[in-house]
Amino acid sequence: MPPGRGNRVSANHREVLPGIHWIQECGRHRAAIADALVAGGAAWAGSGRALHVPQNAYLLAGRRTLLFDTLSPAAGDLVLDALDDILGGRPLDYLAVSHPDVPHAGNTGRILRRHPEARLVAPKAGETHALYHLDDALHVGPDDVIDLGDLTLRFPPATFLDAALHTWMSEETTRTLFPVDWLGFPHLEGECLRRTDEIDAEIGLDRLEAFHSRVMFWFQYVDVDVVRAATDDLAREFSGYRLAPAHGLVIRDDPGRYFDLMNEVVARVAETGRGGVL
Amino acid sequence: MSAGDLSAGAATTRGGSSDAPAAAAPSPIAVVEGVEWIHECFPEGGGHLHVSVYLVRAPGGNILVDSGSFYHRERLAARIRGATAGEGIRSLILSHSDYPHSGNIPSLRGEWGDFEIVASCADPELQGLPYARRARIGETLEILGRPFTFLDPPLADRSHTTWVYDGGSRVLFVADGFGTIHPPGACERFWGALPEEGRAQGVAEFHRQTLRWLEYVDPDRLLDTLARMFERHPVAAVAPIHGPPIGADDLDAYLATLGDAVRAIAGRKRNHPRKDDDG
Repeated sequence: MPPGRGNRVSANHREVLPGIHWIQECGRHRAAIADALVAGGAAWAGSGRALHVPQNAYLLAGRRTLLFDTLSPAAGDLVLDALDDILGGRPLDYLAVSHPDVPHAGNTGRILRRHPEARLVAPKAGETHALYHLDDALHVGPDDVIDLGDLTLRFPPATFLDAALHTWMSEETTRTLFPVDWLGFPHLEGECLRRTDEIDAEIGLDRLEAFHSRVMFWFQYVDVDVVRAATDDLAREFSGYRLAPAHGLVIRDDPGRYFDLMNEVVARVAETGRGGVL
Repeated sequence: MSAGDLSAGAATTRGGSSDAPAAAAPSPIAVVEGVEWIHECFPEGGGHLHVSVYLVRAPGGNILVDSGSFYHRERLAARIRGATAGEGIRSLILSHSDYPHSGNIPSLRGEWGDFEIVASCADPELQGLPYARRARIGETLEILGRPFTFLDPPLADRSHTTWVYDGGSRVLFVADGFGTIHPPGACERFWGALPEEGRAQGVAEFHRQTLRWLEYVDPDRLLDTLARMFERHPVAAVAPIHGPPIGADDLDAYLATLGDAVRAIAGRKRNHPRKDDDG
């Protein structure tokens, strides 16, 4: 039986869209980022509530199941417990890693040992899969589809990325884009596992800049017009898609606003430089 | 296990490395006095890609820069053992936690104990390095009696990467930028001694494949940043993890080649938007 389709919330996971279960690792308070935000005029970041930069994994459950990313090694128990809870004895059919970065793929081994039935899925791009033990994985790219039954997965190119061996993912039934490291932003204690339409604050430029000026540090070197053109292409291609980033909150309402905000973020980082290290 | 357990767990069939017998491994190559290059290669793009480590002879003991890939695990360990007469290493400086750089930390610690690990990430636990000593970008740390300065790297993929300037030798250790895909048979040559035919293409192809964000870059902005870095930190050599060492005499030639490569990569995006996004 598929997991329930309600909006069930547990400590670290919830079904955020039909068949899409969001598993979140929030980690410790990011004081340095909070201080920088306050210094920049973002009073909300100095509220005394902990500031989190999350890692998200998503379990997609149709007639078959796929986990997209694994959280960091610090959350190995968390993700295994969440899988037990959500799957309820069903098999995990696929384990997909967006890219072999430790906070995204660091529990791959533990999950495969718990779920030896799972087929490992990895990005097609690049030639260095053997350096990551991904040479025997199912390699997916823009021309590939994984049919989970009620859900259909595609693997568009990672337009904005860190590691070259990288893929984004989309789910076509719910029209959800998983843009991995792009569109991340910090949230406050109490906002964990909430969609952006479920929190009191509006996500603004400051939150997106705080994340991207650290993770996409290379924005400081770009030709802003070239990045804007790529962002505008994405906005057209994924118009109306919900957004499920790896390091932010899920965006259900008004997703087009975030593409516009990201164009402002790039211009800001190109002008002011990187914000720090994450 | 350090840096997560992708390599251990996803071990679907390969289960280790492609190591040739350790006895066949060449000796480390001196970059400058007190800094040695322990090079390993991986096939890529019709040529070879270095996945190297460097051994620094500091007053307080041996320092390794990066741990190499699990792919070369046994061979690398044997070469370090041989180069240090079995003494091994007392500290490891990590450019970043990507698996080809951090993948041998558990096995090296298994052989030589819980030596110090220095890494630049803001949250070592997320990178699978809860025991690491944090190096902050911009600061200088004394490691085994030698000063190392941690620089913000203009050419990197992961945000927590650092470049490491050895104040003792004036060698700058860099990842992932400054790589070169080299022809088979030229694995032990410094960059300036590579065959000129194909050398520029090796620089361009490496950066096109590895640092995909270069397609968005303003070349002048990036290259000016690099030039300023070398003004502030004059080098005796640049020691890339993914390419052969570049001596000071060859640095201008390398930077000119890199500049051409960056301009070509950036030009492709302007001329062919969305054509090569899938690599």
